[in-house]
Amino acid sequence: MLLAGFPLFELLAAAAAQGWVNAARSLVGAATAAPVVNTLWTGAMVTAVAVAGGTAAAIATERSAAPARRWLRLALLLPLVIPSFVAALSWAQAYGPAGLVDDLLGVAVPGVYGPFGVVAVLVVEALPLAYLAVASGLASRAEPDLERAARASGASARQVLVTVTLPLLRPALAGAAALVFVTTVNAFGAPAILGLPARFSTVTTRIYSDLAFAASPAAFARAVTLSAALVVLTLAVVAPADARGLGRGAVRTAVPAGGGSTGTSARWPGVAAWAYVVVVTAVPLLALVLMALTRAVGVVPTPANWTLAHFAEALDGDTVAALGRSVVLAGAAATVVVLLGGLLTVLRHRRLGRGLGTVAILSFAVPGTTLAVAMLLAYGPWLRDTVALILLAYVAKFWALGHRTVAGAADGLPADLSRAARVSGANALTAIRTVVVPLLRPAFAAAWLAVFLFGLHELTMSSLLYGPGSKTLAVVILNLAQLGDPTVTSALAVLLTALLLAVATPLLLVVRAKR
Amino acid sequence: MWRRLSTVMLAGLLAACGTEAAQDQPSPVETTAPSASAATVRLYTSVTEDTVEAVVDGYQDAFPGTKVEVFRAPTGELTARIAAEQREGGVRADVLWLTDPLSMQQYDADGLLAPVPPTAEAVVPPEYRSDTFVGTRILNMVIVAGEDVDPAPQSWSDLADPRFADAVAIPDPSFAGSAFGALGYFAQDDDFGLDYYRQLAENGAVQVSAPDDVVTGVAEGRYAVGMTLDNSARTAMENGSPIELIAPEPGAIAIYSPIAVLTSAADPDAATSFTDFVLTEEAQEAIAKTGWEPIRDDVAWPHDLPQVAPDWAAISDQQEQLLEEYRAIFGG
Repeated sequence: MLLAGFPLFELLAAAAAQGWVNAARSLVGAATAAPVVNTLWTGAMVTAVAVAGGTAAAIATERSAAPARRWLRLALLLPLVIPSFVAALSWAQAYGPAGLVDDLLGVAVPGVYGPFGVVAVLVVEALPLAYLAVASGLASRAEPDLERAARASGASARQVLVTVTLPLLRPALAGAAALVFVTTVNAFGAPAILGLPARFSTVTTRIYSDLAFAASPAAFARAVTLSAALVVLTLAVVAPADARGLGRGAVRTAVPAGGGSTGTSARWPGVAAWAYVVVVTAVPLLALVLMALTRAVGVVPTPANWTLAHFAEALDGDTVAALGRSVVLAGAAATVVVLLGGLLTVLRHRRLGRGLGTVAILSFAVPGTTLAVAMLLAYGPWLRDTVALILLAYVAKFWALGHRTVAGAADGLPADLSRAARVSGANALTAIRTVVVPLLRPAFAAAWLAVFLFGLHELTMSSLLYGPGSKTLAVVILNLAQLGDPTVTSALAVLLTALLLAVATPLLLVVRAKR
Repeated sequence: MWRRLSTVMLAGLLAACGTEAAQDQPSPVETTAPSASAATVRLYTSVTEDTVEAVVDGYQDAFPGTKVEVFRAPTGELTARIAAEQREGGVRADVLWLTDPLSMQQYDADGLLAPVPPTAEAVVPPEYRSDTFVGTRILNMVIVAGEDVDPAPQSWSDLADPRFADAVAIPDPSFAGSAFGALGYFAQDDDFGLDYYRQLAENGAVQVSAPDDVVTGVAEGRYAVGMTLDNSARTAMENGSPIELIAPEPGAIAIYSPIAVLTSAADPDAATSFTDFVLTEEAQEAIAKTGWEPIRDDVAWPHDLPQVAPDWAAISDQQEQLLEEYRAIFGG
């Protein structure tokens, strides 16, 4: 944790080195006021919508008779698999002017380029995070028994939801909201692709632009200061949420009894969830596939104009070696994060754990490019060009994803269970092994998967940190994308998504089966 | 677990190292051989990958035993990495090969760059080099128009014409160095000035991120015309996109892609031999083959255009001010 936290201090030191007066000036300057306001506004909107949507989706899959429930769960998590720039690109291709829907129906969704599009894509990206947190909350902490009791006592399904299920989910909701907010304010792909054309810039797009001009000390200073401002902003939002949410662990005496659907038997929530999946994921991906298949941009995407040449081009070069390295890196980062998160949890150091949880989210709040700069400042002399440096950056960046999920689930575990084990003669280790770990297994799995997926399609950090022999998938992608042919970029995006899907699907199904 | 992990990493590492020799003919080069036969050159670059690969392969073939270690990243990432390395003990590159001269001006001022060798001065026109860095290829900012746009725009001023209201795309100078070069050219030229951008904004011009996005938007019919790079437009046209490339009056805005040796280079001879090689006919032909205009006049290039160019030394000094004024016009 210290390893991950140290670069943040380096970053702040770099900001301080410019003099606080200059730093403050670069923040309140007219040029940065609009991006800051846009970022705050976007963060608030996305958090509200994504948490509400994620909760609704979780209740639809866990507490209603959704058709093809298992596949629906998978489909809802699909956006996790899709890299941010791909999501933005595919939305533009599907719903933008001259996009797929425009071509077929003559309707372009107004505002795809602009605040609406940015918020929409960010919601789509963030909703699975909220869904995961809430669904695993429903699995390991909400109590079917209590819901059944309420139903048996004559409460309607809605009353049960409002008076029993949601209040029990409060810690999970708070955790999800914090995570979504932070993910949103440091998102780059959607604002860059959909926001800038409409003159809508955010703090992250400003940081990126300042780093592009970082040869000038003033621009570098501004990039660092803006990143530090994101950290402070995150702290201001997350610390109170943490204090409120995780502080109130419910008093629990029993393990949730095994699942059966206890909610409504209505099918419409599931159908609505399926419709959502089609609109936000399936249609954009279809548009992307068409783009990748079509000979050239601006040509009608009919079979006569189809070609596989772009796919061949995308697979050229060291794609496969880089892919292998990325899989190993993402897997290692996920394992480290889950092990550390698990260790802290079973040690039951609640206060320490909560403090660390807050620190962890700070390094998550720093945009990838700046965090990579901080990593170089902190460890460049020893670890430059190594895979270890990238691994460290991944752990620092994605620690929050894993820690939050595990800590959130652990918070709801009844302490009485391990006490009971100890009283019955089990030693501490046995109690942890036989009681705590099995109960947290879904949370561990979810945390591992989230870190793994984010690590695999992370684009900025490794492209800045790699060296000879540590080229990652991200480097290959950016190299190809810069060749300037969007059809090839689309082909690569399709391949990447298909690949992540192939890796993630069995994992997701296993996670589900293990419960 | 760890052993297995490191085995996998090692395997990946080996796979990445095994680069295949692509060029077949040994090349007639006018460069000096690097002093040691096992010399290594560390190259930091933002130049497109196929171009870098072609030139590096040619160099390694011409000097067997030498090795070029490439760190390639988009301008933003590259600049950020150099900024970080400057602040923790020095830039670790021997050679920098960038897309535009803007950052080079600053590195020159920081004293990072070694003087340009006389060999370079012999083949590169003075407007495309300074004392410490030298052009290797030219990027041309041009107009791209939809095939059905009739009459097509003939000059830069036409983009501000009401008949293209809400139908012009321009790249963002705070993202693309080439777009910043265009901004600099217009700002310096008395016939245009920043007023040109004000007129574009009033005419409803849309700012997108990169020059490639302009081409995509015009090809898809989202915009009628736009400002973009010749290479990007030509690639799309070769694939069959319904667009055309126009060299507008008074000329395409020429942006040269500079290379420089660092004073801190571990092996200055090897570094210099690489930069010299980039300017040989062989390397220049390889650059032309990957779609970029070579810097040397004596190397064949079928797409010659009338050109104008910004004064990089001057616009580099005004970088902050120019961008701020631009943002005041175009938001963002």
